[in-house]
Amino acid sequence: MNRSATIDPANIHQVNEFKHPNPLTTLKADPTGRFVAAGAQDLDIQLWNLNDGHLETLTGHKSWVRSIDFSADGSRMYTACWAGTVKIWDLAGPSPELIRSLQTHQGSTRCVRVSPDGKAIATCGNDLLVKVWDIESGQRRQQFDGHQRHVYGVDFHPDGEHLVSQDLMGVSFVWNLKTNQQQRTIDASMMTGYDKKFAADMGGARDLRFNADGTQWASAGITKVVNSFAGIQDPIIVVFDWETGQATRQLKAADKFKGVAWGVQFHPQGFIIGAGAEKSGKGELWFYNVEQDEAFHTFAMKSAARGLDLVGKDRLAVAHADGAMRLYQMTEPASSDSDEEKPTETAKAEQKEKQ
Amino acid sequence: MRRDEDCNRFDHLIARRNLLIGAATGVIGMGVLSQASNAARLEQKQKRILQIYLQGGVSQLESWDPKPGTKYGGPFQAIPTSVPGIHVSELLPHTAKRMHLLSIVRSINSKIGDHRQGMLFMEKGRRAGEYPYFGSVASRYLAPADSELPGYIHITKRGINDSTAAFLGARHGQLKILGVQPPENLDAPPAIDASADLAREQLRVQFNQRFSQQRSRALTDVYNSSYEQAAKLMHRKGMFEGQESERDLDRYGRHDFGRHCLLARSLLENGATCVKVTHHGYDTHAENFNFHLEQLGEFDKTFSMLLDDIHDRGMLDSTLIMVYSEMGRTPKINTKYGRDHWGTAWSMAMGGCGIQPGAIVGKTSQDGTKVTDREVDAGHLFHTYLSALGLDSTEDHDFPGRSIPIADPAADPIEELLS
Repeated sequence: MNRSATIDPANIHQVNEFKHPNPLTTLKADPTGRFVAAGAQDLDIQLWNLNDGHLETLTGHKSWVRSIDFSADGSRMYTACWAGTVKIWDLAGPSPELIRSLQTHQGSTRCVRVSPDGKAIATCGNDLLVKVWDIESGQRRQQFDGHQRHVYGVDFHPDGEHLVSQDLMGVSFVWNLKTNQQQRTIDASMMTGYDKKFAADMGGARDLRFNADGTQWASAGITKVVNSFAGIQDPIIVVFDWETGQATRQLKAADKFKGVAWGVQFHPQGFIIGAGAEKSGKGELWFYNVEQDEAFHTFAMKSAARGLDLVGKDRLAVAHADGAMRLYQMTEPASSDSDEEKPTETAKAEQKEKQ
Repeated sequence: MRRDEDCNRFDHLIARRNLLIGAATGVIGMGVLSQASNAARLEQKQKRILQIYLQGGVSQLESWDPKPGTKYGGPFQAIPTSVPGIHVSELLPHTAKRMHLLSIVRSINSKIGDHRQGMLFMEKGRRAGEYPYFGSVASRYLAPADSELPGYIHITKRGINDSTAAFLGARHGQLKILGVQPPENLDAPPAIDASADLAREQLRVQFNQRFSQQRSRALTDVYNSSYEQAAKLMHRKGMFEGQESERDLDRYGRHDFGRHCLLARSLLENGATCVKVTHHGYDTHAENFNFHLEQLGEFDKTFSMLLDDIHDRGMLDSTLIMVYSEMGRTPKINTKYGRDHWGTAWSMAMGGCGIQPGAIVGKTSQDGTKVTDREVDAGHLFHTYLSALGLDSTEDHDFPGRSIPIADPAADPIEELLS
């Protein structure tokens, strides 16, 4: 890899692949760049050490893991599953250890996020609630009631004093953690649709993240529902302004791409990255600059994306529906980056099996 | 020989096992039945059918045959029910508490993964051919001759008009109602007032009488029957306009399915023989899990309230309950988190009249990809519905000179499901 080279999304290319037998459901990179963790369509968590390629499989969830977060120093990991449980893992030792399990929601816990000070986690779920938990004691600190439909996404504002949550119908709330009050209601209704033929609503934040300085947050999902039961709708990433609460940008994929945006990231250099799953089963990464809502670069991937995170500033980790976690490099390919020249982790494992 | 096209052949078809059950010849009063007349009719044990059709193909794995933690099990848990040992999906918490009123067939292999063909097989009990839907058969053989309501009413939001009666005649065809509203064209044309309408009707009767003196009555009887049925419907128009109480709406839900089930309850209470309610939205090629959360969330509580009301009104032992689809969904989950069409190993639920409660029939493999015990198809189910209602499913339809078995002779009832 050529990490000293200039970051340019136009140069993005795959540099490694870590294969799991079951389709992945979500993914998060440890902020120190040591681990990438992924949930899958099974009960386990795959924790890859990017430094040595070692894989740890963490067990104990009773359903699919759908959201993961790490503490800023990478010593703790938080995993949330469809059964409503959040597990807190200690990654500081030689092998991961479960610290505690919290039954956070009735039904699914759709999202877990760590507070900026690392002392609390926020969760949201199918019981229509948003909750804040004290990490050390495992006690619930706060509970916010107001959503009428399943709550899909939540994130802390970087000031640590506010949360944003978004539900199936695109109703978003800003919660003030100091006053315990709902502070603002935000309209994200462009991110939902009623499928008339099948008489059902489709929408929700599939990923929701603030930028580093807290001036914006972005939500990834869908818009323009045509036939969601066949996956025919447009992916969308909506950027909201923190001061005004208004949706300022609606970032799109090419017209022919029908599916869901499953991931969004603010890059420190100012561009926004989106990841999507097309109804055909393929995936794309989209790169947006500040000038236009159409991607300035699109990168096609062979399998649908279901999760996205930055690894450092120059790499992207993507969870794929074909079971692979793939790493993509955003600098000019070095000769050692070539898939032909460097065997992937999957290829290495297959070679080992043959031997 | 003159045939009576409208004769009710229940007495001919009544199964030997049910000879002692009262005849289905109740006279039904006008308007919402008083408690006394309701009780009187219940005494006569009119048989009824409630069909809840989960259109699109509900996932057996997210409903009646959950397999959590397995390769294709999906993210949802299984929960215990009111019947020890029986588990259903966590998406059916209200139904789970009423499982002692229902039974599950987990071993349907219809071999059809197509909406239309699957629906026709489930409705007719035959893979092909011009046969009547079960609702039309019920209308033909169970509806009282003097019923104030059509024998087969379908409440839905959309869908094509099918010729459901086949050779049974238009009288037994499905009356489709698009939501909580009266059937179309019930009002007299604005230009015709009551006296003109009466004169018109008298003229029609006069022509009919003259015509039938010289020819077979069969044709005019069918026409007369249609006119009479329409007239009865015109008088009962209000019933279809929805008069739900706030309490009922709170219980059933204020969504379409809730209102449709309240209408179904009212129709069944007032003498309808077969009422079908379609709940759309199960064709989940994408987002199977989120959509089942939403759709079964609607179905579960509403259906449970309706089941409670039927039970509490003393109607459950005379009302066959069917919860079914045209097929199931693939165990394998596609890249859109969807499940596709699947006719190989799926489930439905039944309860009420003639059905052994709290039973499980059949079994699928650990990964849900095949039936491993007691494989049945829609032919067996059709026989079972008939038998549960006390009809002999081996009988022929009443067409002199022609032998048309009511149910597919190649299949038979699921005896262990019958009470």
